[in-house]
Amino acid sequence: MAGDCSIRAIWILNNLDAVVFSRRFPVVEKRWRAACQSENESSEDGAVKYTVFSSLPSDSELAAAFSDRKMREGSVRGFGIRVSQSKEGSDSWVDDPITRHIVGFYINREEEGETNLMWPLALHIKGPYCILILPLVEPRHVKAYTRLCKRSDCGNAVTVDESLSSLLLDLPSITGAFMVAHAIGDIVTGDVADPEVVVSQSPSVGGLLDSLTGSIGISGISRAKPVAAPVASSAPSGATAIGALAPDVPKSGSRLLDKDALRSFISSAMPFGTPLDLSYSNIFSIKANGFSSLDIPPQDLKQPAWKPYLYKGKQRLLFTIHETLHAAMYDRDEIPDSLSVSGQINCRAELEGLPDVSFPLTGVSTSKIETLSFHPCAQVPERNVDKQTLMFSPPLGNFVLMRYQATCGLGPPVKGFYQLSMVSEDEGAFLFKLRLMEGYKSPLTMEFCNLTMPFPRRRILSLDGTPSIGTVSNAEHSVEWKIITSGRGLSGKSIEASFPGTVRFAPLQTQRSTSFSSVHEGATDDDSDNEPENANNMVNIEEFLEEKMNKDLPPVDLEEPFSWLAYNYAKASFKIVGASLSGISIDPKSVSIYPTVKAPVEISSQVTSGDYILWNTLGKCPSAVNAKV
Amino acid sequence: MAEKPPPKPISPQDWESLVEDFQHGDSRREKWRSLSPSVVELALSSILKKEFPFKIPLIIFLEEFSDLLFPPNSLSSLLERLVETLRVLVQSPIDGIHVTYALKEQMMVSMTSILISTNAVESVEARLTESVVELLLVVINRPNHGPDRHARAIACECLRELEKAYPCLLSDIAGHLWSLCQSERTHASQSYILLFTTVIHSIVNRKLNVSVLNTSVPLVPFNIPQWVSGSEKEGLLELNYKELRRAMAFLLEWPQVLTPCGMMVFMGMIMPLAVDLDLQPSMLKVQFFWMIYSFDPLLYHVVLIMYSRFSEAFNDQETEIVGRLLLFSLELQQYLVFRLLSVHWLMGFLNGLMVNGEDAEKKKSVVETGFRLYPSVFDPLSLKTLKLDLLAFCSVCIDSLKPQTVSDMIVGDGNSVVKLFQDGLVSVSAFKWMPPWSTETAVAFHTFHKFLIGASSHSDDDPSTTTALMESAIFNHLKGMLVDLILEFQRLVPVIVAFIDRLLGCQKHLWLGERLLQTIDANLHPRVVIDYRLVSYFPIFDRIAENQTIPPRRLLELLTKFMAFLVEKHGPGTGVKSWSRGSKVLGICRTMLTHHQSSRLFLGLSRLLAFTCLYFPDLEVRDHARIYLRMLICVPGMKLRGMLNLGEQLLGISPSSHSGSFFSAPSPRHYPDVKKSKNISSYIHLERMTPLLVKQSWSLSLLPLGVGSGKPDFSGGFKDTEATTDERDLDANIQFQTISEDERIDKPEAPLYVMDSKVSEILEILRRHFSCIPDFKHMPGLKVNIPCYLRFESETFNHVWGGESSKNGLHGVDALPAIYATVLNFSSLAQYGSIPSCHIPFLLGQPPMSGYLPGETDSLDIIAKHDDSGEEEIYKAPVMIELEPREPTPGVVDVFIETNGEDGQIITGQLQSIMVGIEDLFLKAIAPPDIREDVLPDYYSNLFNALWDACGTTSNTGRETFPLKNGKGFAAVNGTRSVKLLEIPTDSLIHATERYLIPFVVSVSGERLVNMVKDRGIITDIIWKDDDSGLLLDSITSVTSQDTTPLYLTFVDNEDEQESRLNISKRSMGCIHVLIFLPPKFHLLFQMEVSDASTLVRIRTDHWPCLAYIDDYLEALFLS
Repeated sequence: MAGDCSIRAIWILNNLDAVVFSRRFPVVEKRWRAACQSENESSEDGAVKYTVFSSLPSDSELAAAFSDRKMREGSVRGFGIRVSQSKEGSDSWVDDPITRHIVGFYINREEEGETNLMWPLALHIKGPYCILILPLVEPRHVKAYTRLCKRSDCGNAVTVDESLSSLLLDLPSITGAFMVAHAIGDIVTGDVADPEVVVSQSPSVGGLLDSLTGSIGISGISRAKPVAAPVASSAPSGATAIGALAPDVPKSGSRLLDKDALRSFISSAMPFGTPLDLSYSNIFSIKANGFSSLDIPPQDLKQPAWKPYLYKGKQRLLFTIHETLHAAMYDRDEIPDSLSVSGQINCRAELEGLPDVSFPLTGVSTSKIETLSFHPCAQVPERNVDKQTLMFSPPLGNFVLMRYQATCGLGPPVKGFYQLSMVSEDEGAFLFKLRLMEGYKSPLTMEFCNLTMPFPRRRILSLDGTPSIGTVSNAEHSVEWKIITSGRGLSGKSIEASFPGTVRFAPLQTQRSTSFSSVHEGATDDDSDNEPENANNMVNIEEFLEEKMNKDLPPVDLEEPFSWLAYNYAKASFKIVGASLSGISIDPKSVSIYPTVKAPVEISSQVTSGDYILWNTLGKCPSAVNAKV
Repeated sequence: MAEKPPPKPISPQDWESLVEDFQHGDSRREKWRSLSPSVVELALSSILKKEFPFKIPLIIFLEEFSDLLFPPNSLSSLLERLVETLRVLVQSPIDGIHVTYALKEQMMVSMTSILISTNAVESVEARLTESVVELLLVVINRPNHGPDRHARAIACECLRELEKAYPCLLSDIAGHLWSLCQSERTHASQSYILLFTTVIHSIVNRKLNVSVLNTSVPLVPFNIPQWVSGSEKEGLLELNYKELRRAMAFLLEWPQVLTPCGMMVFMGMIMPLAVDLDLQPSMLKVQFFWMIYSFDPLLYHVVLIMYSRFSEAFNDQETEIVGRLLLFSLELQQYLVFRLLSVHWLMGFLNGLMVNGEDAEKKKSVVETGFRLYPSVFDPLSLKTLKLDLLAFCSVCIDSLKPQTVSDMIVGDGNSVVKLFQDGLVSVSAFKWMPPWSTETAVAFHTFHKFLIGASSHSDDDPSTTTALMESAIFNHLKGMLVDLILEFQRLVPVIVAFIDRLLGCQKHLWLGERLLQTIDANLHPRVVIDYRLVSYFPIFDRIAENQTIPPRRLLELLTKFMAFLVEKHGPGTGVKSWSRGSKVLGICRTMLTHHQSSRLFLGLSRLLAFTCLYFPDLEVRDHARIYLRMLICVPGMKLRGMLNLGEQLLGISPSSHSGSFFSAPSPRHYPDVKKSKNISSYIHLERMTPLLVKQSWSLSLLPLGVGSGKPDFSGGFKDTEATTDERDLDANIQFQTISEDERIDKPEAPLYVMDSKVSEILEILRRHFSCIPDFKHMPGLKVNIPCYLRFESETFNHVWGGESSKNGLHGVDALPAIYATVLNFSSLAQYGSIPSCHIPFLLGQPPMSGYLPGETDSLDIIAKHDDSGEEEIYKAPVMIELEPREPTPGVVDVFIETNGEDGQIITGQLQSIMVGIEDLFLKAIAPPDIREDVLPDYYSNLFNALWDACGTTSNTGRETFPLKNGKGFAAVNGTRSVKLLEIPTDSLIHATERYLIPFVVSVSGERLVNMVKDRGIITDIIWKDDDSGLLLDSITSVTSQDTTPLYLTFVDNEDEQESRLNISKRSMGCIHVLIFLPPKFHLLFQMEVSDASTLVRIRTDHWPCLAYIDDYLEALFLS
């Protein structure tokens, strides 16, 4: 049944490769077996009799297959693209990075021959857990994939009839499986935060539960406080990306799996394996609260499935425009700086009944918004209209109304350069010259601004130098410069900040981490042969150092944009409130509600920094060419 | 199972571990099989207990393992109990603690699931299913009821699953369901809508003629309609289109109440319904196309599916869909996997468009949107990879759409695909300086591959031609780029090698890899700097060496230069370095040897190896080079490759370790097989190159001579005097003496005699002559070479030794057996000194007479190698038996062979002996080194005369001793004379002389004879005496010196030939003088007096035993 999504089984493994939770759906499994049977019957008269692995493995078999794949593919996720270690029949042989997410297992590898491939498994790693979802596909899809991963030639050309792309396009169940995987991932790690909505009185307001229960939390549901980074966790968060190696193995954690919560979520979200609703807040509210006879359905309208409860109480409407600014600042002639905004409008509609809310989006045309996408509750306006009016029927609680990507309407809030030059093997001289909030007018206020220079592979011994403004501190592997501390916001004017200094490191230890060189053996050849000559040919200390440092540079995961460890850079983190940088805004007066009620509308906006990187002007830096369309 | 059944689970903890055992599988699951009463019964009673906290997990457990827990034999009773339990639970009031909605819901779900998975409708009484359906219908039949709304939704889902499992189960009550659906207004309405849609879907699918408006059939009691279980086909009936379309119109009103997941389920049914009911697809578009603006990936995907079903309805929306997909992948807020998926969808979408659509212009404009998707700096590498793939994909698409006339591909805003490629690559350009294992490198090379193979697929019927790909701009750019990369970033060499290997390993793109190697070969060598870092290129050299499409000339030149560099740079500090580099170079040479035909390599490689043998500082390298050189020269291609490749794989030879592994290859130890070796002389032959004239069978009588010791043996009737005896004139025996050191002091070097000038002249000549003869007792003696051939017969050899190559289906030369490292040892009873053994590295067997067709296979190399000597020569190994005779006597040389077969068997044995005839011992007299070439004939002539004189019976020189070379030994001349009359015509005599004795003729005299011989032009560089004076002179000489007897008197002595004397002298045409040197220091002189019908040969020698053979020899020579 194309266009449908059913799950055959769910497994959750911990970081010891043991299955800690599993759930099988016999109804879906029955359909799979029937499909296999009819496939076999239909292909019986054909020349090729082809069977697919037709039964579900037990937990122990799955765990064995999981470790088997991990061994074969080098890591939990695998190589992704075909490398010299890839073996025919394994995922990386397909040579597509998505095979780090959509994986195949060989069950009971020794016992059976060719027919033991179980595919596709949606792999989602969250916290210490690996979540594996096996959606229902047709046996012919599995066969098609088997052909892809067992092809003996040099790899897929881009235009062929049978490609992974066409397969994925045909299989919404894989998409569904990932939706389920992420929902379950959030539950097992307790990471079920609502989008942040800021109001003037209190820093933030809670989600659906709060709107049902006031401010009293309900016990029994594990629910984290709304965290500071409301942008979905897929956004590259600087904290994990910078500094440390981000290995794609599950992080260790001692938190025990809340099996009951998981079980009840699964039972409600997909009682028979077919997902019906993946909104954990709705499901938990229903589980926790149930319904009483006081919950009266609306008179004329059908209450949407995504809004099981109707709000009662004081009415108001809150919007928060939240933007994240990503920047790569090069300060070079040949590479232009790049500045991009990813934003979203979070909303909280405390309105009774099932009203429609509409408002015109202003600034959409001027702010060069690249993409707009909306919550399913929204009626989508026509594109290319200068003044877009957005109409939506709000669900309960905090939700993301729309998302957009835009270019920054104003200049970079932190502008300038960072130069670092190694004067000796263990000493670097650096210079910052920055201009903050240039061209930014009130009410735009920079609440704080920090600059971090990470040196993940060097140990800092000492730091000399005084900045023209702010304070400096250093940890073992990073230097932090607090330019504007919170409480002393910068508004209505721009400031200059400079920071010359030197940083001294502990002598470089060339330890070869065997973990990756063993995986990538063969790539390292004849170091002993070439070393002395290299040293002689080296023109200056920087190149020598670079060569030396690069020797034990581990490969990064495909989920990283580049090898952070290979570059010298400073990362700015700041928060700007008062308006959006993209220029998008909502006029409170033009927000209309139908049926008309009197409800105050509050709008706030904040801009935080995402990857805001000042590359060392004197060193190497990653870059990309922008599309010219 | 003999094992004791485990205790019954009672507490929740017991149950929990039981559940875990079942989930774990294997034996842990097995042990519960034997539990009695069964697990289900125990579980159900636990569930019915009032206070039991593990109820819901237990129910799920029953559901999950229903196929194990509900065996067919007890299925009926167990299900009955289960249904009873369900009824109890559903009907018991909610208390919020022990009986909750969650419990009721789970029980309904699990009950349904178990019914379906055990196929209860067919396997047990239908009544069970009916009662469950009834229960569920009762639950849902309370629309808008407040508290249990979610339970009603779940019950709807249960019914829906049953309907899905048994299509049309609920079709009778569709009317009721519709009205329930219309009235439900809580959030449960989604489930009602989906239930009703499912019912409609199965009605349409099964083409059932039922009214969906009719509510005449009561909701309960429920009866399973006969078409569910019955086999009868209802498909012939007409659908009630009008009602169904009305139902559809109702359903299409409510998409906005569905969750994204619900929408997916809904659309999965609506789309086929729309087709079956002939609805306008544009209606669906209007209703659902908005979902593409949602950020929910599920809704996105639904639209894509919808497009694939109704692409004609979305005729103008392609650009918008593509645009949306592009933007979706840009959304930083999305999880990475969805961004990756969206790029895949885009590629799949465009692929479908390319395959199906017709309008090229439209396709072009749609595809061009894809060029907007450049990787950006902060895109994760996996996304960058996919975006680069997309760029490659789009460029290929555009290329296929372009008009045929456009020469270079123009894409987007006028950029070529090369520009596109370069720009895209910037995002991973760090691969140039990062370590070769970096992810950036992997991504970059992945992209190279995608761009390179581009449009060509792997299917056999792919029309894309290789030339098109080869001429493409991207290929030309890429190969140039790879060469630049290799030169600039040596650390990338292994990666590039892996990249090329990947192409080489592909049947379809093998030629691409080869072409890249060719390009590298052509461009790298001129540009590369020869220094120690050249080693880093060796992996690529190895590939070039392996590839037969690349002439090895350039590489060999480069390696030779590199070897020269190594030799030049060698110093005290570079010992190991030279060794390692040198070994690596040899490794590449070896790769070449194993992959190329020897003739291609021969010139360059032999030069390189010879240079290495001669000059390389490291001994091991020199040794190996020598071995390779030897192999190259001696062993034909296929066998050589087989030898070098022993036990190794072709790819992945590590250059430094190869030599060791080859030479110390652990091969099975073979012991000589005595039995098999027995008759080897019947098929391995050592044969003289020139057959002997005389079959010296009787010469065996000479064998006792000097057996195994230096002491002379007198038993044979010969008196071979000991060197030290002083009885010089005891008899006519030759004497030679060695004077020991102390004796020499006493003895004068040359005894004084009174003599005339003639004698002194003779003595002078003889002294000079003898002083050139080496004395074998003190220095290497004169050598006599007997050229032979070694050959063996393949057929017999294979028969005995079972040569493996004959079994391997090889043809031509390669099918023939070979012997390796053959050693021939010689021994002889005759006094030939020690005979050095002979080594033959390789020999092919002679093909059977009929089977072999020369030049049939790849024996090209062999033919080329031996083109001067004819093909037959490859089956014969030349062997030179080197004798150092102490006595000029014929003899027999015994031959022993030791060799190796192909499988490593050791073959030993004795071959047939080689006869040594007297003529083998004939040598030309040694000319003094200081003599001029042009006076050489004179010298020989004079020497002849002198020796002739000295060997006369009454020679004046008889008492003279002549010091040998280096002065330690002396020789004396004691002549003997003999005569032989040969009755042959002049012509045959001259012919035989020319054929066999040509080196030894010193002069011809007599006008007639001279004219005769001279005209033939074969005998040259001798003294010609036109008059008869030669004969006379000889007579005169002998007369004047000692013997005054007239010439004929000499003949009188020889009574046998007395009667012919006058004839001869009268009819004499002239004389031929022959001087033969017999090693170690003797002489044999012929004076052949030629006349028309016969020839008189006068023989003189200073070694009388030889006369015994001369008679036979002359007869064989002239009379046979």
